[in-house]
Amino acid sequence: MRREPVLRVVGKLLIPYMLVFALYVQFHGDFGPGGGFQAGVIAAAAVIFYGLIYGLPAARRLLPDAVVESMVAAGALLYLGVGFAGLLLGGNFLDYFVLDRDPVAGQHRGIFWIELGVLITVAGVMLKIFYMFAGRGREG
Amino acid sequence: MDAFASHYTYWVTVLLMAAGLYIMIARGNLVKKLIGLSIFQTSVYLLYIAPGKLIGGTAPIVSGAFKVYANPLPHVLILTAIVVGIATLALGLAIVVRIREAYGSIEEDEIVAADARDADRA
Repeated sequence: MRREPVLRVVGKLLIPYMLVFALYVQFHGDFGPGGGFQAGVIAAAAVIFYGLIYGLPAARRLLPDAVVESMVAAGALLYLGVGFAGLLLGGNFLDYFVLDRDPVAGQHRGIFWIELGVLITVAGVMLKIFYMFAGRGREG
Repeated sequence: MDAFASHYTYWVTVLLMAAGLYIMIARGNLVKKLIGLSIFQTSVYLLYIAPGKLIGGTAPIVSGAFKVYANPLPHVLILTAIVVGIATLALGLAIVVRIREAYGSIEEDEIVAADARDADRA
């Protein structure tokens, strides 16, 4: 597939829009269908698409395994961090109301960081699964 | 006729469920079995999601302007079910990869035949 010009050009055209759509789904999750799970899968799909067209080594250069694995942990840590931030500010665990002086703004801030954590972890897990399946048997 | 038309999501669900179950039973290829399992799971998602949609209902946001809202619980449940489905699919595919490495085949009849040969030899 290395010499397929149509696929390569279409891939280059589509991947930016896939990533932007992932961000749209992410930020739409506040008040409608969307959120971190879906956005993470779409963002990972963009990278998987890149890997399918340009080959697994190219995808691994774009996002090395170490980065992907730290994404898995970083998202979960961010989620936990928001929970403990609520505790430190005098509320309950995962209490969004205390994150800002205005409770409504606090809700917005809390859900933003929570969904960001979900996005990072889901994208990382999907990419890790793809790397492991695609790379199986090709290396030690 | 009216009952048929107003419950069409149930018919789609039944169709998908039967198709997925048929693929799982009738096909010997393990990857095709997993595809059938995914279709079966999708039918269950639809079964839960469809009654959660309320025509004219809004998202459950507190506001004086809206009186009717859709219950978000089915959607949240199915979001979790989708994540679990992805995890089980990945696990199933990993087992298929491992079976292919051990037997050199992912056809169920060939695997059973290889197991029978091993049992005869033992």
